[in-house]
Amino acid sequence: MRWLSRPWQLAGMVLPALIIYSLYFTYPVVYSVLQSFTDAKAFGSSTIVGAENYTSMVDDPLFWSSLRNTAIILVISLCLLLPGAFGLALLLGRRIRGAGVLRTMVFAPNVVAPILIGLIWVFILDPHLGLLNELLRLVGVAEPPAWIGGTTLSPYSIGSVYVWQTVGFIMTIFYAGLKMLPGDVMEAAELDGAAGLKRLRYVTVPMLRETIGITTVLVITGSFKIFELVVQLTGGGPVHLSETLVSYTYHVTFGLQNYGYGMALAVITSVLGVAVALGYLAFLRRKATAA
Amino acid sequence: MSTSTRTQVRFPHGDVPRRPRGRRRGWAAVVAYVVTALLILPMLWVVVLSFQTNENILRDPLNLTELNLANYEVATQTLNLMLMYKNTFILASVSVVVGVVFAYMAAYALTRMEWTRVWLRNGLRFYLLAGLAIPVYILLFPVYRLNIELGLFGTYWALILPYIAAQLPFNVLLFTGFLADFPVEVEEAAVIDGARLRTLAWQIVFPLMRPVVATLLIFNIIYVWNEYPFAVTLINDPAMTTISLGVAQFQGFWSVDYGAMMASATLVLLPQLLLYAVFQRHVVAGMTFGAVKG
Repeated sequence: MRWLSRPWQLAGMVLPALIIYSLYFTYPVVYSVLQSFTDAKAFGSSTIVGAENYTSMVDDPLFWSSLRNTAIILVISLCLLLPGAFGLALLLGRRIRGAGVLRTMVFAPNVVAPILIGLIWVFILDPHLGLLNELLRLVGVAEPPAWIGGTTLSPYSIGSVYVWQTVGFIMTIFYAGLKMLPGDVMEAAELDGAAGLKRLRYVTVPMLRETIGITTVLVITGSFKIFELVVQLTGGGPVHLSETLVSYTYHVTFGLQNYGYGMALAVITSVLGVAVALGYLAFLRRKATAA
Repeated sequence: MSTSTRTQVRFPHGDVPRRPRGRRRGWAAVVAYVVTALLILPMLWVVVLSFQTNENILRDPLNLTELNLANYEVATQTLNLMLMYKNTFILASVSVVVGVVFAYMAAYALTRMEWTRVWLRNGLRFYLLAGLAIPVYILLFPVYRLNIELGLFGTYWALILPYIAAQLPFNVLLFTGFLADFPVEVEEAAVIDGARLRTLAWQIVFPLMRPVVATLLIFNIIYVWNEYPFAVTLINDPAMTTISLGVAQFQGFWSVDYGAMMASATLVLLPQLLLYAVFQRHVVAGMTFGAVKG
């Protein structure tokens, strides 16, 4: 079809997408990186300060607490979300009456706005009027903990709500992966005496390596992106000690209007998220070749 | 998972399932029902609270004897929900339609058309897909500045353009994935009949992309509907409030009237769930396709 692929025709097809994407995606990324090397503030002109924004992160206690909170959320997600979603996929993949409806229901929180999810969970986790503590008081716990609002439990609560919201999403990917497994291999395994947990350990999980890789990367990048839940559940408080990297970046950029430092934080957050995901993928690949 | 029926037919002599089938399935079903119920309970709780009086929510939220619709009256009279829905509808319809059309055009050119410079095609494909790896949060402040410089701040375009850009990598990914597997014979026949590019792309191939288009439309609509970071950064005019922005303000707005807050939340929650219930097939299909193939 060479005749219809004249340069102007190709350009006409590609350019609309290319222009919007370059203007609203590539240019902003480049701008962020450049801005992160200046001392841009709300007012006045900015000068290039080199890597100063990056070095001052080391002395910023709020950066470290945000990093710690993000790490807690990441670990909680990895520990609860992956096994939980996998178990749920196995469970809802069985021939249960109404399994299709159950899968649809478990996925539902993913289509609800995260900002609304946050609001909903305030009414469960709030220390004073939340359902959870109401139930705890009912069973005789006199001083139920402050799930949100304090500094100790807040990241764990945010992580748990994230797990709740995303479990149906990850479950669906696992479910699709399980359904694509060749049935004859599973039968052969069963005949060879590998049933139940044994089959799961030696046949199902190794064959799902690809799917497990995809879901883990999604969970890692997803944990770094949590923003609305922080806004709604804790607002980053008290005194910004429950901020995550993303919400702290937002606070520095738009709250304090310290653009240079904010963009440096944005760059570091992005690089960390991508690096952790890529590092994990490389680790998986090495393990696969070693095995 | 359960292959026991077929196994029994093939091997009638032995290999009886270790546990009685009925009992095993029964347990799995009970666990599945309980787990699902626990997972949807948080959303139900908001709906239940929305029918309670404010005093009850504060004093004894588990007492469900006095339920009424008073909160809904307060919520609908005070909040301008229709405005939020209208704004979100405008943003979604323009950005989703334009975004899907542009993504399709680019994907068509990158997969179905002949390029004399193959490196250019491969480079463009990589360039457009690279956005998948970049978190949208890094864009917030530069896009805010860009909108001011372009004079778009305060208009719908301030959100529509970044929404299109943010969704483009995923849309291109799904379109190129499908188009690459698509047989060329139909197009070749049409070319012999004298069809031009416009006919090929829009009247012959595009209709065959219907399942992908449906999936992408749903995904893009859900994205715009739920989008918060761009909206909170790029909008400061109350007349342009979107649904997400509205929800974020509920807490400040109803700082004492929790019943009204729950009623407002329910009024946002139920349409979202309803939309999902109608289109859930496309949502789940698109999600698994994107994840397993991409």
